[in-house]
Amino acid sequence: MNEEEKSIQNLTAYKPHLETISKKGIALIGVLLLFILFGVVCLYTQVAKGHVVTGMRDNVVWGLYIVNFIFFIGISYAGALISGILHLLRVPWRTPIIRMAEMITVISTMIGPSYILLCIGRLDRLPNIALFGRIQSPIIWDVIAITTYLSGSIIFLYLAMIRDMALLRDNPVKTAKWRNPIYKFLSVRYNDTTKQKELLNVSTDLLSIVIIPLAILVHSVLAWIFGMTLRPGWHSTIFAPYFVVAAVYSGTGVLIMVMWIFRKVYHLEAQITKIHFNYLGIIMIILGALYGYFTFSEYLTSWYGSIKWDMEVLFRLFSPGEYLIEFIFAVFIGVLVPIIIVTVPKFRNINSIAFAATIAVFALWVKRYLIIIPTLESPLLPIHDLRPEYVHYSATWVEWGLTFAGIAMFILLFYLFSKFVPIIPVVRTGEEKDYSRLRKVVFEKQMKKAIKENKKGDTITTGIVILLMLVASSGAMAQDDTQVQTVLKLEYFHVDSLQSLTGTLLSRQEGRYQPLEGMEINFKLMQGGTEKSIGSALTNEKGKVAMAIPEEVLATGGDKGLYTFSASFMGKDKYGKSSGATTMKPLKMEMSFFQKEQEKMADLKAFEQDKDGKWVPVEGLEVQFYVPRTFSLLKVGKGKISGGAASLEFPTHIPGNALGYLTLMAKVEDNEVYGNVEVSGTINWGKPLPPVKVIKRGLGDTDAPLWMVYTLIVLLSLVWFHYMYVIYTVFRIRHLGKQ
Amino acid sequence: MAKKNKKDSTRRNFLKQGFTIAAGSLLGGGLIAACTKEQGPVATGEKVKVLTADGKLMEVDRGHAMCCNVPSSADVRKGIPGRHFVMVVDLTRCRNARACVKACSKMHFLAPGQEWIKVFLMQDSEDTTPYWMPKPCFHCDTPACVNVCPVGASFKRDDGLVLVDNERCIGCKFCMAACPYSSRVFNWKAPDNQVDAKYSPMTGVPQKVGTVGKCDFCPDSFLTGILPDCVTACPNGVYFFGDKNEDVVTNGVESFRFSDLVKDKAAYRYMEELGTQPNVYYLPPVDRRFPVEEGFESVPDSSKAAYQVKRAHLKKYKI
Repeated sequence: MNEEEKSIQNLTAYKPHLETISKKGIALIGVLLLFILFGVVCLYTQVAKGHVVTGMRDNVVWGLYIVNFIFFIGISYAGALISGILHLLRVPWRTPIIRMAEMITVISTMIGPSYILLCIGRLDRLPNIALFGRIQSPIIWDVIAITTYLSGSIIFLYLAMIRDMALLRDNPVKTAKWRNPIYKFLSVRYNDTTKQKELLNVSTDLLSIVIIPLAILVHSVLAWIFGMTLRPGWHSTIFAPYFVVAAVYSGTGVLIMVMWIFRKVYHLEAQITKIHFNYLGIIMIILGALYGYFTFSEYLTSWYGSIKWDMEVLFRLFSPGEYLIEFIFAVFIGVLVPIIIVTVPKFRNINSIAFAATIAVFALWVKRYLIIIPTLESPLLPIHDLRPEYVHYSATWVEWGLTFAGIAMFILLFYLFSKFVPIIPVVRTGEEKDYSRLRKVVFEKQMKKAIKENKKGDTITTGIVILLMLVASSGAMAQDDTQVQTVLKLEYFHVDSLQSLTGTLLSRQEGRYQPLEGMEINFKLMQGGTEKSIGSALTNEKGKVAMAIPEEVLATGGDKGLYTFSASFMGKDKYGKSSGATTMKPLKMEMSFFQKEQEKMADLKAFEQDKDGKWVPVEGLEVQFYVPRTFSLLKVGKGKISGGAASLEFPTHIPGNALGYLTLMAKVEDNEVYGNVEVSGTINWGKPLPPVKVIKRGLGDTDAPLWMVYTLIVLLSLVWFHYMYVIYTVFRIRHLGKQ
Repeated sequence: MAKKNKKDSTRRNFLKQGFTIAAGSLLGGGLIAACTKEQGPVATGEKVKVLTADGKLMEVDRGHAMCCNVPSSADVRKGIPGRHFVMVVDLTRCRNARACVKACSKMHFLAPGQEWIKVFLMQDSEDTTPYWMPKPCFHCDTPACVNVCPVGASFKRDDGLVLVDNERCIGCKFCMAACPYSSRVFNWKAPDNQVDAKYSPMTGVPQKVGTVGKCDFCPDSFLTGILPDCVTACPNGVYFFGDKNEDVVTNGVESFRFSDLVKDKAAYRYMEELGTQPNVYYLPPVDRRFPVEEGFESVPDSSKAAYQVKRAHLKKYKI
């Protein structure tokens, strides 16, 4: 029997699965669709109500979604590493399983990232990633790596399918014939000529070389999302290889599970034999041992080092009330049980290996949960919160619903795909002859039986948790109509040459003072029983209102040199009227600077009007010196004016501007006679500010570090160059087929 | 009412009076220190009247007022030139009065239960004394949150502030995972009672569902010399805020030279070893003004259990 005959024989064996679908199959699709539909309901709930419907809160910001994300990306390793490495090493027994492995990769790489989308609070803003993407962010690394990886996996899966497509084109399916043109299109006129065969082999080899480092990178990047943070249990240098090993381990486990299921359901006992389970089982336990080794190393290091944050996470993992059971399952059972089952010959059979794989896969899911949740529940600062959901994470029905929907989607896509393309590559290539002979006997025996539809039904576990949510509403505040007392305070300010009045209007309610905004205040000058209006203005949000005193008002000489001002509020709505008054005597202050040998001095002169309106020096007035700053005045000294003058050593040690310009202010505060008077002067005697430096913040900058940009460009161009070359090869195969 | 609206009304008042208001201009020495242009303050001779934070009128040279304009929208990401804002938290004064928390939540329209400032009951080890530690965002100089943001919604300004643009934020929460100080909160559902104001990362309002928020040091009011709300709200003057370049921090009542205060009181930054370089300094809780028990007075009985120190390596603090 030559290769072509064998291929056709294989196809004939598989064809019933392509052409028919059993009632149980339809029922399975129905059940899966129900799960997916429920997932859609969950998704709608989450989008409509916000992430409040999930168990995630400010401390545990990521939950099941991220766990599922890591899990699915992890199992995608089945295709990349298993099929890639087995292909490169020309391992003869790989053929029947590589299609499944690659399908696991493609489907889980599509489902995995959708979980990260579920973590995103604003899905409508996803374009921002393209618009404002910062390649310093590990999330951007992840986006780039996963899209590249998914593209590569799809191309890889397709390359391996071309031969089967050609065979299907030549032997069309009899039901659902709309598939035949698709097969024809996808077969790219492949006729198995020497040249075409060579091109196909070269590009498959090329791609499997590219996809292995790429796969390692994808999971490393995923690990770095956690490793780059300063969180206990995450900030670990071995996280990337640890994630990679755990991922391949779970990927192998899922591959064994898938093999077992299809073997049963599609009766592929002939193609998928005990050898596959044994070999993959051995690969799996080697990876399991590696995973155990990394785990041991990780926890031993943090336990021995016993940094208190690390210890807190470890205590959580080791506490019976918290995560001890999960920890034992994920770390001990998940490693030891598969190893015992596979290594002890007595226990080793197809079913037990599949069971071991299932244990490993579940353990790894739990391990991802243990990586994410306990760390987030142990922030560096304590949690003072009584709301249990802020202290401990527990997933809600929305999250479980979407988790099961993802798994259902995985199974559904797998099932539908197996109805479209043979789940086992039907076309054998030359290098696998040895292996074909090995399983020839079994195969022929199997052929006699002919293919029957599966007997065993598919069982789906259902576990839906429904939580009731209570919405509390708050009552409205009561209002009272009684009149509210108001207080109006009036202050006089004399700042440099500007003299002004500032009123502060406050309401008094239950002993509390509140500023009143938008109230009109009238300012007046009181002079010998007469009132002269100065103007009116509205209060601001702090109840303050300011009014400049016109020069001509102060030129009147006042009442023997004294001026009395009043401000009044006429009352509005429920607020009663009030007024305030202040009396003051004008004070004139001047500031000058002089340098005496080494001493830099500020000189202050102060004058007041005597009874005749003549300006005379002031005696014995307390004055404070300040340096004004943005939010406050810094006191630098005080003095007493004697003989109309005071002086202060200039505070040269205080920073001024770039040229050292510094303002010094002299102030008379709340004086009974003079009110508030201040005068200031600016001179370049302060400490000059060093010139503003352009601050380089590295990762925090808008632009990424150059090495990162270059690395990314080089890596991406290398990978995509190979993709393009492979795609070009496919077109060449098509072109060759024309001749 | 939104902070912005308030400013508008202030502005209207003065326009009504016919004064020329250099709205939002900095005053006094702050004004001058902000002028980092090479020539320093150039007097134009033309005087403008401006309103200070405490409501008094001042007349300044237009040249001084103009060299520190309100930042344009592009400057929202760069900050106020020549500034480096810092906060000093005096742990000797805190008694968990929670006025800062309330003022902040009110000012930023935070959802119930959301806190941009948190007050922690800390006890570093079994035998050391417990103390109250208020914690705003540390506005780190090498902020872990900014590093990991995929879209630049969190950004570091040259004046030291770390702000969040919640109109750009995609809500991936990576910054929340990256921040070692639990400074960030998430709007898990559509926030109620939001104001109809134009959003700016400087005001932080209105809050938006599915985005991250955090303490922003209230930079929208810096330009008028107004301190962050937590600083002014605190009855005990715990918070000191200021510009490191001006070398002065104030709690609204007292002002100190930053360099002296930090030196004399042996200030430290929380978890300096993480290398995040915070811009918030703590004065150690020595000679505390209030016994730690007093801090529970502001805590309702039903919430007291939350302060049980749950860390495995610490003894529970008996309330």
